[in-house]
Parts: sequence; C-alpha cells; structure tokens
Amino acid sequence: MRHRLLTVLAIGASALSLAACGNSKSRNEGPAGVGGLPGPVSGQKSGGTLKVLSNEGFEHLDPGSSYFQLDYEVVYATQRPLYSFKPEVPQRTAPDLAAAPATISKDQKTVTVKIRSGVKYSPPVNREVTSADVKYAIERAFTPAVANGYAASYFTALEGVDAAAKGKPISGIETPDAHTIVFKLTKPFAATFVNALSLPITVPVPKEYAAKFDKKAPSGYDSKPTQQAFTGPYVIKDYQPGKHLVLARNPSWDAKTAGDYRPAYVDRVDWTIGADPNVAGRQILTGQGLVSGDTPPAPIVTRAVQTAKGQISFTPLGNRYIAMNTQLPPFDNVNLRKAVLASFDRKALQLTRGGVSAGDIASHFLPPTAPGYAEAGGAQGPGFDFLKNPSGDPALAASYMKKAGYPSGKYTGKEKVVMIGDNNDPAAKTAQVALEQFRKLGFDVAFRSVQHETMYSKFCNVPKAKVQVCPNVGWLPDFSDGYAYLYAPFNSKAIVPENNSNWPQLKDPQVDAAMERASNTADPAARAKAWGQVDRLVTGAAPAVPWFWDRQPNIQSKNVQPVIAQWNAAFDLAFTSIK
Amino acid sequence: MGRYIIRRLLWVVVLLLVVSATTFLVFYALPSADPAVLRAGKQPDPGLVRSIRHTLGLDQPIYVQFYRYMERLIVHGDFGYSYTNDADVRTQILDRLPATISLTVGAVILWLAIGLPVGIVSAVRRRKPIDRISMGAALVAISAPVYWLGLVSLYLFSKDIGKVHLFPGANTYQPISKDAGAWLGSLIMPWGVLAASFAAFYARLLRGNLIEVMSEDYIRTARAKGLAERTVILRHGVRAAITPIVTVLGLDIGILLGGAILTESVFNVPGIGRLAYDAIQRSDLPMIQGTVLFGALFIVLANLVVDIAYAFLDPRVRYG
Repeated sequence: MRHRLLTVLAIGASALSLAACGNSKSRNEGPAGVGGLPGPVSGQKSGGTLKVLSNEGFEHLDPGSSYFQLDYEVVYATQRPLYSFKPEVPQRTAPDLAAAPATISKDQKTVTVKIRSGVKYSPPVNREVTSADVKYAIERAFTPAVANGYAASYFTALEGVDAAAKGKPISGIETPDAHTIVFKLTKPFAATFVNALSLPITVPVPKEYAAKFDKKAPSGYDSKPTQQAFTGPYVIKDYQPGKHLVLARNPSWDAKTAGDYRPAYVDRVDWTIGADPNVAGRQILTGQGLVSGDTPPAPIVTRAVQTAKGQISFTPLGNRYIAMNTQLPPFDNVNLRKAVLASFDRKALQLTRGGVSAGDIASHFLPPTAPGYAEAGGAQGPGFDFLKNPSGDPALAASYMKKAGYPSGKYTGKEKVVMIGDNNDPAAKTAQVALEQFRKLGFDVAFRSVQHETMYSKFCNVPKAKVQVCPNVGWLPDFSDGYAYLYAPFNSKAIVPENNSNWPQLKDPQVDAAMERASNTADPAARAKAWGQVDRLVTGAAPAVPWFWDRQPNIQSKNVQPVIAQWNAAFDLAFTSIK
Repeated sequence: MGRYIIRRLLWVVVLLLVVSATTFLVFYALPSADPAVLRAGKQPDPGLVRSIRHTLGLDQPIYVQFYRYMERLIVHGDFGYSYTNDADVRTQILDRLPATISLTVGAVILWLAIGLPVGIVSAVRRRKPIDRISMGAALVAISAPVYWLGLVSLYLFSKDIGKVHLFPGANTYQPISKDAGAWLGSLIMPWGVLAASFAAFYARLLRGNLIEVMSEDYIRTARAKGLAERTVILRHGVRAAITPIVTVLGLDIGILLGGAILTESVFNVPGIGRLAYDAIQRSDLPMIQGTVLFGALFIVLANLVVDIAYAFLDPRVRYG
C-alpha cells in the first residue's frame, strides 16, 4: 500500500481554485458539465500510437514487485494476472489468465483456479503458460530479490509460506496439472484471498527463464523489464528509466486464442517521463493522440473544466483522514477523540485539496465506490452526531470534551501532542488547517513538517516513534473490497513495528471480530453488508477524522477515445484508442 | 606545471572522498526514508525487512557501508543501483550525461557569443544609448527566473502550444546520435533560456572589468604607440579584463555539467540535474551519491582547467 498510497497523496495537485468550478450536485461526477467516467464504446478504431506524458517515472515493472499506479498501467497492458478488473467494472474481478471464477471449498481453506489454454509468452520464451509459472511467480515474490509490497497482507495465509523467503517452494500451492492451481490456506480466508488473485503477483513467470534474473538482488527481471516474458497484448519494447518507455504489440498474443477480453486498439504506446506537468497539460489539451500519465496540476484541471469539458474526467479514488494515536494519551480517551471529530471543520480541509471538484467530504471511511459504502450509511454516513456537521460543531465538541474529563469544554491536559505532517503542498496546507483546529480545542501541539517519504517511514509508520497525530494519511485499496479498505488501516493484528499502516493503532476487539466475520463472508451482498458494519464500528470508535473521498482527474487530447480503468483511476492502455 | 597538475589531481581525489563522506553523513544524520522499509511494503514481515536491509547492506555500521561503497566504486567503478527502480546508477548517469553536455555546451557558446560582444560594446560606448539599452536588457535577463522564462518561451514560440510556432517545444529532446536535426531543434529554446541570464551576467561583468582596464596606464601607452583602437581594445584591454570571466566560466560550466535542474525540468531534457532532483525527492541514496560525486568531479576539474588557462591568458601567473 505504501506505493499505491503515494499516488493517492499526489492527487493534491488537482487543486485550488477548483472550488469555484464545481457545485454540490450528485456524487462522483466532478465539476458541472464534465461527463461521466469514460468507458469502452462501440466502434473504437484500431491502430495508431497513443502518447502518454507524465512527470513521474516508473518504480517497478516486474509484476512481482510493481505496486504503484503508473507501474500498474503498464503491467496490466503487458501481463495477465489470474484475475483483473474490466475498466468499467471496478467492483468485480474478471477471469483473465484464469479460465473461470475460482472455486472455493466449503471450509474456505482451499481455492482452485483453472488456467486458460493457449496463453503464450512473448519471445524468447514463446511457450504456453502453465500453472507452475503462477506458483513460481508467487514464491519469488517473497524473496528479498523481488520483495513484493503486499504479499504479507494477502498471501501469508498460504500453507508453508515461510519457506518462500528462503527461496523454497510453498507447500500450500499445488499444481496437479498444467492448467490447475490449488491454493491451500491455514485459515478460512478464501473469500478475501480470491480478490487478491487480481494483483500482479499472480502474473505467470517462467522459472526456467526468470531464475537467472532472480539470482541477483534486486532481480534483473525488474531492472531490465524489456527482457521479461510477456503474456498481455503488449511488450515493453524500450525502457529508459526516468525518460521513456515504449509498448509494442506482443507477437505471441492473440485475443481469440488467448481468450483475452482486452481489445488492445493502439499499435504502440509511447510514454515520455519527466514532462513538466503544466507544459504537458497544455500539450495534451491542444495536441493529438496524447493522454496524461499522472495527475494534471491545478491550472490545467481548471483550464480543462472551463474550456475542454470533454477532455477531462474525474475518477473516484480512496480516502483521507487525520489519524490520532489511540494508544497514547490524550487520544486513548474515546470521548476526547469524538470531541476532535465534532469540532473539525471538514469543509476547510476539503478546500485545501481543491474543493468539491477534487472530492467529497467524507462521513466515514469506505468511499462511494467501495462495496459496503451504502451499507455503512452512504453519503450521510452512519449517523453519529460527532460527524453530522461538516463545518464542525463547537458546542457538541465541548460536550464530548466534558465527558472526556475536561469540564471547561477545552483540552486542558498537560500532554504535548506530537504531530508530523507532509511538507509538500497541498498536504502541507491540510496539516496547517488541522494544526489550527487542534489548537482551537486547546491542544498544545508540537508540529513537525517533513518530506512525504520521511513522514511515513520514520514517523507515522513506526509505532515506537510515538507520534500522536498524523494529519496527512489516506488509503487507496489494492482491490475493491472492504478488506482491502479497512483491514490494514484499522485491525489490531495489522499493527507492525515498521511500515505500520494502522496509523491510529486501533485495538478494538469488536472491530477485529467484525472484520474476521466479514473476511470470511463469501456472498457479495452479505460481504458488503458485513464490511459496511465494520465501517460503522470503526467510525464509531473515532480513531481518526475522515474528511475526504478523492477524485482523480485525467485528461486527453480531442482525438483520443479515453477509457479509464476505474480500479486504478488511470487510463487503460489496452482499451484507449485513437479516434 | 606538470607537478602542479598532479598535485591538483590528488586534491581532486581527496575532495571527492570528502564530498562522498559528507553526502553519506547528511543522509544518515537527517531524518529520511528507510529504503528497506519502503521496499518491504505494508504490514511487512520483520524477517523480510531484515533480509532487504541485509541485501542493501543497510544493517552494517555506517563506516562499513561507506567503506564498501567506496571499495565498489574504486575497484569496480560500481555506483550501486537505485533504491527506487533498481536501475544501475552508473548507467543512469552516463546515459544522462550527453543531454547535460549538449545543454551546457550549447548554452555556453550562446552566452559567450552574446555576453562578450555586448559587454565590450557597452564598455566602449559607456553611458551611450546602446550601453543603457544593453545593460537594461541584461538586468531584465538576470532577474527573470529560469523556470518562468522557460514556460513563457514555450507558450510563445513552441510549435505545439506556442502563439508563434517557431521551435520544437518540450518533450521533444532526441540524442544527437539518433537524430541530429531533432536534437538541434529541441535544444534551441533550452539553450536560449539557460543562456539568457548567464549572457547578461557576463556582459555586465566584462563591461565593468573592461572599463577599469581601459583606464590603465598601459592602455594609454598602447594608444600612444599609435595602435588602432580595435587592437587596443581587443588585444590589450579584453585580454586583461577577461581573466575573471574565465574563472567564473569554469565554475559555471562545472556547475551546469552537474545538472541544470530547472531548464532540464521545463523542457524535459533528460539530464543529470533532473536525475539528481528525482533522487533527492525519493531519498534514493545511491543515486544521490552518484550525481553528487559527478557534480563535484565536474566542478573541481573545471577549476583545474581554469587555473591552467590562467597561465596562458595572464603571463604574470606561473605555477611552480
């Protein structure tokens, strides 16, 4: 999540002055006049070159280690995981390399997946994909040479998983034949596990070819991505880190034989990295065949909304909140936390990110596109009084403060509150607003503003750093499921000494138990309800101030038929075409 | 002279060691991201973090890490690999070097071609309208921030988003080896933007020096000997006035070879400056180390060249 999180937090660029462009109409539509989310349309043309301009570069293009929005744009166009998301259906996985939905045993401890026949690797491997390739892909992800960023979250329930770190096979992954793979779990976790099979860790990797790359740490499969064995419609033909990437058609790929749902319209994708965001934005809006690879800056978004409404779209994304450390005084007092929530002016916080166009004010943690959102209370939220008024309710805050043991209605304790924020705009503005609101409630805050990466890896992600408030945290899920949204940020078992993502360090047995139940619920409707209930419980425990549900802007040239992969809030390179 | 150069080269090695050690210390002394933790992802298994830390050598004391880094560097020429994208640092820097050299050399030629004549004319025509206009323009050019000037020139003169479609715009850089015409076209505006403030500064500097030199006794003697005014100015005046310019030029070239971050960013010329900037943003120590070392190397070598050039330009300067 760390890397995916980076993207969420970069969204801030979609910014200021947008408030004037939007209105308070229906949710997730973005500013007035901007159309809905662009999906596939009939009659899209094949051929041509799609050019992508981005400021940021790629991190890891090895499917075993990629964990970043930009990386995913390329990996999902060049590779085939067991399951993936069709661009317009972010809530439900579709079989990709898998031939059909996974079969789950009654005890929810065994998952069986059948793999398609006829899926071939690109040259030089050029052979058919087998289930053993998926097994190797998952095993290598646990090694330091690959160091996958989410394997520990979703794949540690596999039997015998500990052996993988030493480069040995995982006994809980069986391949009875070339087209069947069976996952054996140590606990009834299958309902969640099958969702994680959509992550690129399940992209097949041919052991006989990749082993020589994997002997080196870090793996050469990542540092030399043009030499990968590709299974998707495109191959990485050229890659110069920080400069340029070219995708060309995979000569071994044939949609009909391989049963691939991706149309792969364009012949070539030409991606330029390092573009100045303002210049790139103008080039895209006035040029031909161009799309944005990362978030356009505020002036460009404003310009597009005002003058080129058909060339911009806003995709709902994750959430943002201000985390309070529930294990340290004074925030170990639930009434005091509720007082903070009641007093916070979330409208002021929203303005720091660009107002209503950039996203909606959150009233709980599951965002509008998440299963369980409606069950958690929808836009109105679960109905807690301390989140009723988005502008803040000083009187209610004072009453909670009294319940917390501060008769004056203000915090009068002796503890100095340590708050660590991000020094990049607009996150820095958010932190400033939060700081003022804490001070208004009477807190003596020692505020420190540091680099984005430092904020996480040295402070907020490290429980022993004893940070009490992290005002710039947020969450983008790995896939659209309540588990991916709520487990790591709020389950007590997710608290780890390093890279901890349960920033409030919430240890609530009721929440944990509800998560356990929800994780084991397979039926989609019942699962959504269960996670909605978890969200209500988390919100009721007031571990953080939920204040924003993001929307990511994407822009394209007039002659581009855009298709947004809603699960990744970015262009789907295998669906977008030239008009 | 030979002994002097050898001595200076030895100092270069010492200086680079100091620069390298300082970068290491700064990285560790200031709070920065832990690369092993960044790589490990969310809810990492402590064992995995330990393994990554071991793989990256971060579990060793800082002096051991520094020693191993220097050993790899000196013995194998190995700068390590990027913590961010696993790319080889040396390959990355060498890959970016041609763009930075292209940008620097072109800009230097341009600013010398503009700055020196303007400085001479301004000095010779002191307080005349041409001097006032030249120095006024120079002040504007010095005051204009490079980033702003870059954006304005793109919005005015680039073929794609400009008002007057004259030059290829941003994101069009091509290596000279791939397409010389495209290389030249893509660098015209970056050269102009980068050279503007330097040309202005050099013009003002030369003007001031030349005015001072032209009042010296030996200039009067030269004139008394009946030498043409052109000869007096160029052979006697400019030659003496230009030595401080050579010093500054050497340093400027050294600094720019270390990366012209703003110009590279606006026009997306993939040079070392942008590589360094990205590395700093991501706490990518091996890449920071590599770019800092290269930058330092360029600066000290440029200084050395300047000092040697002094001996040829100014006969009073000799090295023992």
